[in-house]
Amino acid sequence: MSKKTYVEDVNREIFDNKDKVKYKFKSQKGLTPEVIKEISREKNEPEWMTDFRLKSLEIYQDKKIPEWGADISDLDMDDIITYIRPDAELQSDWNEVPEDIKKTFDSLGIPEAEKKSLAGVGAQYDSEVVYHNLKKELTDQGVIYMDMENAVKEYEDIVKEHFMKLITPGDHKFSALHGAVWSGGSFVYVPAGVNVEIPLQSYFRLNAPGAGQFEHTLIILEEGAEAHFIEGCSAPKYSVNNLHAGAVELFIGEGAKLRYSTIENWSRNMYNLNTKRAVVEKDGVIEWVSGSFGSKVSMLYPMSILKGERARAEFTGITFAAEGQYLDTGAQVIHAAPNTTSNVNSRSIAKDGGHAYYRGLLKVTEKAHHSKATVSCESLMLDNESHSDTLPIMDLNNDNIDIGHEAKVGRISEESIFYLMSRGISEEEAKAMIVRGFVEPIAKELPLEYAVELNNLINLELEGTIG
Amino acid sequence: MEKKLEKKFIDNLTTGQSELLSRMRREKFENYQDIETPEFKRIKLTDNKIPEYRPYNKNYLKDNTVHGSIVVKKMTDSLNNEKEIIEYFNYFSDSELDSGIDKKYTLLAESLYNAGLFIKAPAGEKFSIPIEAVYEFDKKNKFLIDNNLIVAEANSNLTVVFDYRLNDKNTEAFHNGLTRIVVKEGAVLNIIKVQRLNDKSTNFDTNISVVENNGELNFIPIEIGAKSTITSSENNLLDDGSSASISSIYFGDGDRKMDLSYRMNHSGRHSSSQIETKGVLKDRSEKVFRGDLYFKKGAVLANGSEREEVLMLDPTVKSDSIPALFTEEDNVEGEHAVSAGQLDENRLFYLMSRGMDEKKAKMLVIEASFNPIFEKIPLNDLKGSVINEVKHRLES
Repeated sequence: MSKKTYVEDVNREIFDNKDKVKYKFKSQKGLTPEVIKEISREKNEPEWMTDFRLKSLEIYQDKKIPEWGADISDLDMDDIITYIRPDAELQSDWNEVPEDIKKTFDSLGIPEAEKKSLAGVGAQYDSEVVYHNLKKELTDQGVIYMDMENAVKEYEDIVKEHFMKLITPGDHKFSALHGAVWSGGSFVYVPAGVNVEIPLQSYFRLNAPGAGQFEHTLIILEEGAEAHFIEGCSAPKYSVNNLHAGAVELFIGEGAKLRYSTIENWSRNMYNLNTKRAVVEKDGVIEWVSGSFGSKVSMLYPMSILKGERARAEFTGITFAAEGQYLDTGAQVIHAAPNTTSNVNSRSIAKDGGHAYYRGLLKVTEKAHHSKATVSCESLMLDNESHSDTLPIMDLNNDNIDIGHEAKVGRISEESIFYLMSRGISEEEAKAMIVRGFVEPIAKELPLEYAVELNNLINLELEGTIG
Repeated sequence: MEKKLEKKFIDNLTTGQSELLSRMRREKFENYQDIETPEFKRIKLTDNKIPEYRPYNKNYLKDNTVHGSIVVKKMTDSLNNEKEIIEYFNYFSDSELDSGIDKKYTLLAESLYNAGLFIKAPAGEKFSIPIEAVYEFDKKNKFLIDNNLIVAEANSNLTVVFDYRLNDKNTEAFHNGLTRIVVKEGAVLNIIKVQRLNDKSTNFDTNISVVENNGELNFIPIEIGAKSTITSSENNLLDDGSSASISSIYFGDGDRKMDLSYRMNHSGRHSSSQIETKGVLKDRSEKVFRGDLYFKKGAVLANGSEREEVLMLDPTVKSDSIPALFTEEDNVEGEHAVSAGQLDENRLFYLMSRGMDEKKAKMLVIEASFNPIFEKIPLNDLKGSVINEVKHRLES
């Protein structure tokens, strides 16, 4: 028997240091209208938001847990504490952020990123944003980047017009839950013609045992605006099941362009049931860059709705499923206007009994003539304990289109290794090169510090003979 | 039907037939009645009704094609080898290989069949002339349930052609077929199925195979007719070097609805599979194509590939493609590809620049795409008439 290729797990040490839990306010377990009202009161929200939460709760209680996809029967919804505010008021100065919180962020490299002239840092600690900073020049340009709670009050009209209009509570059980208990998140508004050259960055964390995180991200790009938003996730390990049911709503105006990058690296007990959607107007562009590494279960299918003519969507994603992980991810694209284009490029790696599942949807409506779409999925299996599945659904309702799809699964090819070895490269190095090459199309799309983090996360160590 | 009547009905139906088979049919009939008729949601076939039983009295076996040592029997005759047949049937049922398009329809075929063939190619025998089964429908024979079993013994080589056809425009026919296939060590079996029912008829067809070591199954389904057609081909590559291929053509015109499922289950080492599907959709036709490649753990060095090409000729057509790869074994190679859209404009332009009109040019490009699969039809008459039918439908 040949020895199987060995790739070391993501090094989680620095992500698994948890702080002592210290809370000002903790809502009781389980969900009742009273809990919802309490959350809303605590946040001092306008009445429409309280009503919205209550309506969402009703829908949530009516909806069934989806029966397809991952097994989420271990998830005890009543056991998940829905709202925990850290014992820290909103800070604008790094020095005022509590020491233990700072320590965790330090190990995640946030202040470093700040130093590297990132536009602003909205680091979510448990359920609320504790640190926020935005470069003055952006404020001068009229760019708004703030936590969602305050946006609801300060920019009520804009928020009310867009909030949960793209992802509605009726979509599925977890979007209804989100509507009821959402807390924290970022609000970004870029006025017409403004190009935000430095990426906006937000780092989410979960710290309380049993705490769910339901952050809401709302990004609005007016005509011709451009921005890059980076979302990163990491949480320490706890024994209680954790749930992440956030929502990301992206509105991309005419000729606007948004890049949305995510590295998700939740701890291995997390249920990551996040919903992300973008609507793109005429000539607009959405670019998704997505890395899924952590969590016990992920069900995540970012959707791009190409609503205006010549709108475009790009999706670049990588999934790394190791022991005990079921990562069910994929891109959804709806071509709803003529001359729209989309490209989906997905890679996955499965090892040590991990289960990587690509589940995608490509829909072309009757209206979307002259649309073009390509979907490409590649999966690498590192052993035969693991599972790798690919299920792309194509639903085409117009003839004047050009659609291509390709998927491949396999392991590191022996021929490639032999070829490289015949060129004088050692076997280990040959394999490492091949795996790096496999990840490279995704890595090169990431901002530098995230590409470095990706490398650290994967930390591919190969040994042994082929196989 | 009341329960009592039903019992009498199935008893009458099986009178004079082999005892063991009759008993099996009665059991299957009970199971059949316990199950709800399914809905096929993706093609919106939701008010699906199975019509009342009727006999099928036409002779469907072309006797002149039966030759040499080959064994060919009609399933509805009194069979002296019923034990052997039951053994095969139980093998399929026990190994849960009998799902097909839906349990309701396989049970229907197992209990209420009114036609069907048992075909066995003895070990080591090679048959160059294909066995032909022509299931023709007409006003008096518009209900057909054929239950077929084809066994290719070790190292045999055989081709079987099934032709389902109905010319009369007004007859509403119903077809539900079940074909179970066993390809033993080193055998080669080719099966061609042509479906040309009229635009008022409904077609259901399930094909399930097991392929043993170094056996080879080539399945060529050609779907041209029917109002709605729901078919499946599920192939189990059990052993070392088992291989199977599906080369299929579908043609949608008018309001036709098609739901086609192909599946390759790889368990054997070095097993290989290929699915190649080419389709044309025009008018308001709708199609769902599902192609699954499933690599079970232990299917070391297996390889499977799947390719669908669909040409869409009108803005009112609908095409769903759901290719899936399920992998439990790392040491495999699996891939699938789908391409969908209109005819290649460059090719059309080239042909038109040579003085061909658009219609002719289109026809030529489509023919060129279908031809490699048409070429697999071993009978020239059948091939010719299939090509003519496609041409005719393209032009209308």
